[in-house]
Amino acid sequence: MPKLSNARFWTVLGSSLVLIVIVAYLSVTNGTFDLSVLDVCKTLLRIDPLPEHDLVVFEFRLPRLVLGALIGCALGTAGAVIQGVTRNGLADPGILGINAGAGMAVVLFMFLFQGVLSTTSWWSVLSMPLFGLIGGLIATAVIYLFATQNGRLDAQRLILVGIAIASGFGAITMYLSLKMNPRDFEMAVVWLSGSIHSANWKFVVMMLPWFLLVPVIWFRSHILDLFQMERDSVRGLGVSVERETNILLLCSIGLVSASVAVSGSIGFVGLIAPHLARRLIGWQHRQIIPISGVIGMAIVMSGDLIGRSVFAPAELAVGIVISIIGVPYYVYLLMRTKK
Amino acid sequence: MKFQSRMRMFVMLIAPIAALLLVVASILYGAKQITATTVWESLFWFDASNVDHQIIWSSRLPRAVGAILIGCFLAVSGALMQGMTRNYLASPSMMGVSDGSVFVITLLMVFVPSAHSTQLILFSMLGSALGAGLVFGIAWLIPNGMSPVRLAILGIIIGTFLSGVADAVATYFQISQSVSFWYNARLHQMDPALIKLSIPFAFVGLMLALVASRSLLVLSFGEDVAASLGQRTWIVKAVTILAVVILTGVSVALAGKIAFVGLIIPHIARFLVGVDHRWTVPVSGVLGGLFLPLCDIIARFLNHPFETPIGVVTALFGVPFFLYLIKTRGGGKHA
Repeated sequence: MPKLSNARFWTVLGSSLVLIVIVAYLSVTNGTFDLSVLDVCKTLLRIDPLPEHDLVVFEFRLPRLVLGALIGCALGTAGAVIQGVTRNGLADPGILGINAGAGMAVVLFMFLFQGVLSTTSWWSVLSMPLFGLIGGLIATAVIYLFATQNGRLDAQRLILVGIAIASGFGAITMYLSLKMNPRDFEMAVVWLSGSIHSANWKFVVMMLPWFLLVPVIWFRSHILDLFQMERDSVRGLGVSVERETNILLLCSIGLVSASVAVSGSIGFVGLIAPHLARRLIGWQHRQIIPISGVIGMAIVMSGDLIGRSVFAPAELAVGIVISIIGVPYYVYLLMRTKK
Repeated sequence: MKFQSRMRMFVMLIAPIAALLLVVASILYGAKQITATTVWESLFWFDASNVDHQIIWSSRLPRAVGAILIGCFLAVSGALMQGMTRNYLASPSMMGVSDGSVFVITLLMVFVPSAHSTQLILFSMLGSALGAGLVFGIAWLIPNGMSPVRLAILGIIIGTFLSGVADAVATYFQISQSVSFWYNARLHQMDPALIKLSIPFAFVGLMLALVASRSLLVLSFGEDVAASLGQRTWIVKAVTILAVVILTGVSVALAGKIAFVGLIIPHIARFLVGVDHRWTVPVSGVLGGLFLPLCDIIARFLNHPFETPIGVVTALFGVPFFLYLIKTRGGGKHA
């Protein structure tokens, strides 16, 4: 276990967690049905609980909050890994088309099992991310196929290929969703917009096993530091570059696919969280990865809070809120790049 | 360049015939089968009480004509943009142009709910200008912004941003439905009145495009060369951008967002007739005008009897072509 003695790391981690707690507090208490802190505490601690408070807290707000946190953490972590592996600060699961691939597979799943499908059956809930993973892997395979030249991954091509396959998978997704029956179509549309509106505890349970990948990534984080050097020098150090790259990419695709399976495509989190993390704590990946996860968590939770409170009674999908906030930051980053 | 000069003749000769065939096919095939004799009769002896004649005049014919026009406009815009920026990825769908248009139309629908079609077309153009202006402006500001990869990323994220804001505004004022009605699946409910309205704009746009295409070749040697040859580059650029904005704005107003036409057609045109823009631009227009109706006909058969969005069909051709371009051209030095 790497030792984390850096005071800066703990400060950033601590303040992110404080932010998360504040957002969580606001999310649980605010809404169409306002609750006081006391009400929430009573409900959580089971002190003479009221059935309507139970409903609001346990069925609506908590699962959504927890799911937002999990998705944010998964996307932030995956983004940090992908940027580290590709040595490209502009890479993001969304821009690389991994989201779109996973999304297509999930819609295909909804399409193949239409009618039979319900969000409440365990079988379908647990198999959706597996389908997403297959889609994500297909997308990655296509990226590899087209972006490698003489066996090297070309960072410039990577992004263009990602854009191309994102629109290709998007078209397939659109085609499939139009062939669906109306009820499933509705579900697919809600889900495609990148929303955690329909969160429930089953989705949370479905996300959890995928977090077993996080420690796998974390124990390899020092390798990401090495990856910032030229590949040949890393080989010279005795690291099996291909194997490590594959493991790291597979883990992050797994995380991304699981998030896409529950929330559709939420972009920019995987891009911004690692950038913020690097600016705040520097270049060591064993610190960047957890901080990216926590920042991603904060981004998605706040995005969802904004989306559902600013536009009340209507709701804006969290994916849209994040892209509105994320794009200006991204442009700012582009302006700062030297090369 | 014998092949290319023969191709020029061939394209120009074959195009009208092909276009006519496509229009006929486009009228014949659809959810309701209509016989060739009925089409013939409806064209020359229109009978208002005949339902088939009504379908032909109010839906099939406008749709065929609309597809030809939009395909032509988008391809010409693409050819102009690729010529001006010397970036092989520059094209209307890549540059956030249509998203800018959606954004402005959304605002218009919120603040001037009574706006009529002419205003919508005008504001759609304004929106295209805004989208293209933002993308080009930022590309100009950031280091290496005009490199293919940077420009593609910028186009995508600015597009996401504009459509996100539009979505937020539409959600807030609860007009999402009317906005999406204005922008989605427009090709199969092409409004004949809208086509008529767009013709004068399109005429101006195409004239400007032809004027610009005469000077683009010099510009394509690079700014310095063009300037030293006595060309006032900013005029050429301004005319080009104006043409792009008008043509793309009109197409977006007519049919919403249709990707890939403006990206792939100019490449095919260059392959056929060479790099001289005096030929590439008009030939792109002709090929685009053939390509989109073809896609439209395919779209009707893909999931018969239901319509498939035309974007799915253009992507069917566009994505492999795009990947081929990336494979052969790469991304340049800057990501």
